[in-house]
Amino acid sequence: MSTIRVRSAASYWLAVPAAAWMLGVVVVPIVLLVWVSLWGGRAFSTASPLTIDNYIRFFSNQTYLKLVGTTLVHTATLMAVTGVLGYCIAYFLTMKVKSPLWRTVLFLAFIVPFWTSTLIRAIAWVPFLGVNGVINQTLMFVGATQSPIEAFLYSRTGITMAQVSLYTMMAAGPVVYMLNSIAPQLREAAMTLKAPPLTVFWRIVFPLTLPGVVIGQVLVFLNVMSDFATVATIGGNKHALLSNLVLLFYEGSQIRAASVVAVLLMVCMLIGVVVALRVVDIRRLGADR
Amino acid sequence: MTRWPRIGWKTRLSLTSWILGTVTVIFLTYQWLPIFTLGLLSFSGPTGGTTFPMNGTSFHWYQEVWRATVMNDFKPPLMRSTLLAAACSLTTIVLSVMAAQAMRGQFRGNSWFFYLMLLGIMAPGILVGFGFAIMMRILGVELSWDTTTFLVQVSWTLPFGFLTMLAVFNRFDTRVEEAALTLGASRLKTFRRITLPLVLPGVIGAGLFGFSLSYDEYARSMFTTGPDTTLPLAVMAQLDRQLTPEIYAIGTTTTLFSLIAVTLCTAGLWAMRRSTSLRRS
Repeated sequence: MSTIRVRSAASYWLAVPAAAWMLGVVVVPIVLLVWVSLWGGRAFSTASPLTIDNYIRFFSNQTYLKLVGTTLVHTATLMAVTGVLGYCIAYFLTMKVKSPLWRTVLFLAFIVPFWTSTLIRAIAWVPFLGVNGVINQTLMFVGATQSPIEAFLYSRTGITMAQVSLYTMMAAGPVVYMLNSIAPQLREAAMTLKAPPLTVFWRIVFPLTLPGVVIGQVLVFLNVMSDFATVATIGGNKHALLSNLVLLFYEGSQIRAASVVAVLLMVCMLIGVVVALRVVDIRRLGADR
Repeated sequence: MTRWPRIGWKTRLSLTSWILGTVTVIFLTYQWLPIFTLGLLSFSGPTGGTTFPMNGTSFHWYQEVWRATVMNDFKPPLMRSTLLAAACSLTTIVLSVMAAQAMRGQFRGNSWFFYLMLLGIMAPGILVGFGFAIMMRILGVELSWDTTTFLVQVSWTLPFGFLTMLAVFNRFDTRVEEAALTLGASRLKTFRRITLPLVLPGVIGAGLFGFSLSYDEYARSMFTTGPDTTLPLAVMAQLDRQLTPEIYAIGTTTTLFSLIAVTLCTAGLWAMRRSTSLRRS
């Protein structure tokens, strides 16, 4: 018995406003994008004939195809870096830090930047990366290089560096959650049976945290694929990824082309999420909700 | 013979601890250093550039923000962002409590509802914003920060509030509700007098989450805000025009505000949890 009767009409009606909001603002517009990407003609009109010309035009352009490849490689790089780094940090925080005070302090140190603006944090990388930036000044002071390296600001390296700092916590968070839910008896049992630590890790701990790893990777994947703001801030106008192309076309009033890229982005993301769901049953995570 | 391998394990274990600890500390530095540099550079002298040397220390760039011209006046965008975030936060609170309560009723199709909410988190801002802008254009609705941006941003803050409330209700002890109901209180009265006060910390948390998410949102606002921009948009526009320490001053100010808000709220929640747990024991 609780304040709401199971399967009552009331529970149904309570969910309606939120469901309607999400359907109207998220689902319908995204479906709409698919429709708009199929519009023929030139005018902005719902009576446009439907063709796949827009897609043919996009895929017959070598530059755009290369951009798709670049975006995927860039995203994969970030997933690998944040995945490894995030796992190390999560493991250290949950398994190695014993003092509750230190654990809280470290957790806060990681989480607090999450509450500040991603845009500002991306901008904060700008003074670091420029020709006269902090990194170059340090390198020259140490004597590693004679002349400043121009490879940081307005480059993929710089974008990657900033995004690693922005998204590693997304990869680490779910792992922390999964590590915390492992019963200590499991490890103790393995240890009692004389399994060496590395075997305990690979055979017991890692498989149990795999769902966390996958969810973290999905979060990083989705965020990096759609993060045009960091790319625009640090890459300047020299570098673009797929998501920047959406913006570029949109600002050029090429709604159809922008929709094509948006649909492409959506398809990439859907494939990524579906692949991840094959590995991990997300419902099992939601089971204890 | 039997003792040596054990010691070997121990040194190896402490070695991994040290390596992982070093990685963690290096990453923490890596994460925080830009933020601190931003703060430091915002105090550079009037002739200071966007990187070191600072050419003296001053409040010049903060004063510059304060007496800004029409072109780069950040006060109206700040005002709009704050109002918008407050509105999103309130809407999120109401809708997410309703939705989470509905989930407890296990209505038909509740798993679909759950996935719909997850979709709101998963769907990238650039797609939602762009799609919604197109929809508004088809419907012939004028874009504006207090209508279209509000609608879009709630679709971003609501799922987070919903998940927070689900977690809160999950840990909620339903026996207190049962007690009230057995004593003859109506369901509505029980909810208002027993359930709501007990989950209030979670509700506040959901609201704060919503405020912060809306306040910092860039991608969704970019497509759906009309001529009157919000703060992240104004910052980005200024960045496109000219990079000066002025942006650093704004960045430092908003970061500081976020930090203060988080600290206050954490402290409040902690105090509240302490008082309720004392009463319970």
